[in-house]
Amino acid sequence: AGVLAAHKITASSPDTDLPTVSGLRKMGVNFTVSNKDTVKSSDVLFLAVKPPIIPFILEEVGPDIEARHIVVSCAAGVTISSIEKKLSTFCPTPKVIRCMTNTPVIVREGATVYATGTHADVEDGKLLEQLMASVGFCTEVEEDLIDAVTGLSGSGPAYAFTALDALADGGVKMGLPRRLAVRLGAQALLGAAKMLLESEQHPGQLKDNVCSPGGATIHALHFLESGGFRSLLINAVEASCIRTRELQHLADQEKISPAAIKKTLLDKVKLESPSLSVAAASKVSLFTNRSKKN
Amino acid sequence: GLEGAWPRVAMEASELWVGFVGAGRMAGGLVRGLLQAGKVPATNIMASAPSDRNLNAWRELGCRTTHCNLEVVHRSTLVFLATKPHILPGVLEEIRPAVGSHHIVVSLVAGVTIQTLQRLLPPWTKVLRIMPNLPCVVQAGAMVFSRGVNAGDEEAALLKSLLSSCGLCEEVPESYIDIHTGLSGSGVAYVYLFAEALAEGAVKMGMPGALAGRIAAQTLLGAAKMLLETGEHPAKLRGDVCTPGGTTIYALHQLEKGALRATVMDAVEAATNRACDMAKD
Repeated sequence: AGVLAAHKITASSPDTDLPTVSGLRKMGVNFTVSNKDTVKSSDVLFLAVKPPIIPFILEEVGPDIEARHIVVSCAAGVTISSIEKKLSTFCPTPKVIRCMTNTPVIVREGATVYATGTHADVEDGKLLEQLMASVGFCTEVEEDLIDAVTGLSGSGPAYAFTALDALADGGVKMGLPRRLAVRLGAQALLGAAKMLLESEQHPGQLKDNVCSPGGATIHALHFLESGGFRSLLINAVEASCIRTRELQHLADQEKISPAAIKKTLLDKVKLESPSLSVAAASKVSLFTNRSKKN
Repeated sequence: GLEGAWPRVAMEASELWVGFVGAGRMAGGLVRGLLQAGKVPATNIMASAPSDRNLNAWRELGCRTTHCNLEVVHRSTLVFLATKPHILPGVLEEIRPAVGSHHIVVSLVAGVTIQTLQRLLPPWTKVLRIMPNLPCVVQAGAMVFSRGVNAGDEEAALLKSLLSSCGLCEEVPESYIDIHTGLSGSGVAYVYLFAEALAEGAVKMGMPGALAGRIAAQTLLGAAKMLLETGEHPAKLRGDVCTPGGTTIYALHQLEKGALRATVMDAVEAATNRACDMAKD
């Protein structure tokens, strides 16, 4: 998106063999195996590790967190208060922002929400928003809505991929070559989403506009309704949201032993998703006029 | 009023002699609408029926009554046919000699096509076919009508202006009439079923039945009124009622789980297909 020069980004990971690591290096991102180094050379710190690892990372880098740092956690189910609590033993007023994004940030069509912590200023939130808006839609929300966002746009791309796979199957069944079917299906969803985003109209109205009386589309829609299409989607969003809450609850209660963590690191655990691991930690150049405090 | 726009229609309405062959519930609903609108005086309206059972109510309204179908045709310009479907052919044969080019014949009879009507009446007859629905009796009906070969703009405008007093009245191609049956003719029953179920849900939750029934009906009435008056898409109105995480969205989820939408579409389809089949018999 061009909002940030690659050399101003630092990423760290204990495992240098991950495919994402070479990808980052090729982009010109500074790479290190030391989380502490990453923290020291950054102002905005994205924590993109798996949720159970967060407490250990915080323990490790806590002493190096200074007042200037903005700690942004993308870890699902990890609350702002749990991060603030961990960091407060090292830094009295840690700036914490929690965000939830999704995989299409890769193609700069992400959907991101963020909630600001106790000591994060309005400008800190706006800075994050500026960054994330460069890779899609970004808006601030109350933290208690983040689980719902996970259910909808966090998991959403998976629902879309499933739908597209099935639509392509339908096309193939009716005689289209697979590649063409996939291409057309994806374009149809892309186009429809674009229409909706650019229109003032309700999706129900847009649907009606496609359905000529007695025509092909209304016949097809009847099938969708008969199969409970709408309720399936509602169920999916609900299930994802509820599961997110469950996992958060479990995380609050469970403790993973340090020995177990070391083992998993040694076993080269993959980070949560390829796109999020793009920045295990990043320094962000302040392209606003705010000067760095050291 | 109408005088400026359609002077001929306005004059015809007040000088119009209206007849009903058959005096059952549907006809009764239409005549009440006509009288309510004050367009045709009761004394200009005549109805025929084999027995006095239905005719008493018409006399109480101030209309003329008879047991003779021919008399209705002789005394009227606008003749509504409102018999049961299996009776109609016999009635048409009976009145045929008396039907002239000045008559406007409007059939309310379910399943009898314009083609059939034109076949059984003299070739110069102005024929129209109308499909009303039950709430015409309370002047909140939904009616569609189509015209035969000899019926022109004047006749259509006259019918529309007279019957708008009974509710919504629109001209359509004849092929929509069976669909109207599935949607609105039978549709009234779907609404009664829904109202009953709503009330039953409330009773389950502890409300007395009579109160629940009245509230259910008022809810349907109010929602329909908002739809008609705002002109907004129902999906938008639905969204307006759904506060995030609130009661309504929880309930709607249940309805979607039950595939209510598809079931309703199935119902409209079934009734429409049945109407088509019956018309062929």
